[in-house]
Amino acid sequence: MNRLFTPHRGAPLLVAWGIPAGVSEQFVFEARRDGAKAIEAEHMLLALAASSDGDAAKVLHEVGLDHERLASALKEERRRTLAFVGMKELNKEVPAATELESPLSLGTSAKAAMKRAFIGARHERRRVHLRSTDLLAGILEAELGTVPRALAIAGIDIAALASRAWGFKVMRSEC
Amino acid sequence: MPNSPSPLDGPADGLAAASALRAIADRLEDAEVERAMRAGWSWSQVAEALGVTRQAVHKKHLRRLLMAQIELRRRNGE
Repeated sequence: MNRLFTPHRGAPLLVAWGIPAGVSEQFVFEARRDGAKAIEAEHMLLALAASSDGDAAKVLHEVGLDHERLASALKEERRRTLAFVGMKELNKEVPAATELESPLSLGTSAKAAMKRAFIGARHERRRVHLRSTDLLAGILEAELGTVPRALAIAGIDIAALASRAWGFKVMRSEC
Repeated sequence: MPNSPSPLDGPADGLAAASALRAIADRLEDAEVERAMRAGWSWSQVAEALGVTRQAVHKKHLRRLLMAQIELRRRNGE
């Protein structure tokens, strides 16, 4: 379905905030693949995990979280959430609506993660220079919502992982 | 009242479900409005079926329907 693989437009705001274009495009890719109308924290997390040379991916891989396992945990979170009201996914016969070719905006959970990342990075290094591990920590510091639900289902110690992300020693300049 | 409620169980499950249902409803509305307009429904008919005003449907869906290159019925042609 083309809906999943339309050209990645934008997220120019992310680039302005210091997120490399390649990373922000991956956020958009994950959000569009999910059929979402905005980039949420779970899309950022999937994109960070998929990055082959990012430090955030290394931190995630240390606890066995690669893109596949994260996607599986998010799928299980979705199943559990809908099961709460006795539902399954939307009938596949419902056609997808035409996708607006406008840049996806940041959703509430993504904005909150960015804010925590900036505050944490500034606190730690007294300047704003966002690393992928800062962003990962910002995502992981959410107490409620899709990401903490999925990670709890996967049996991940989220607080320990966030702590590891904040303390990760960057060996070279990236993100 | 716990300071850090569990992200699973209790209200967290219900609130997550409410959020998920809202997203599903939005997606379903987008898809079905498009399908109805492709089938030649008028704005008023779509609005009546959704239980909202014609203006509300127009405002929410016009841009996407134009992008989908759907031939839209004029008001006096309803």
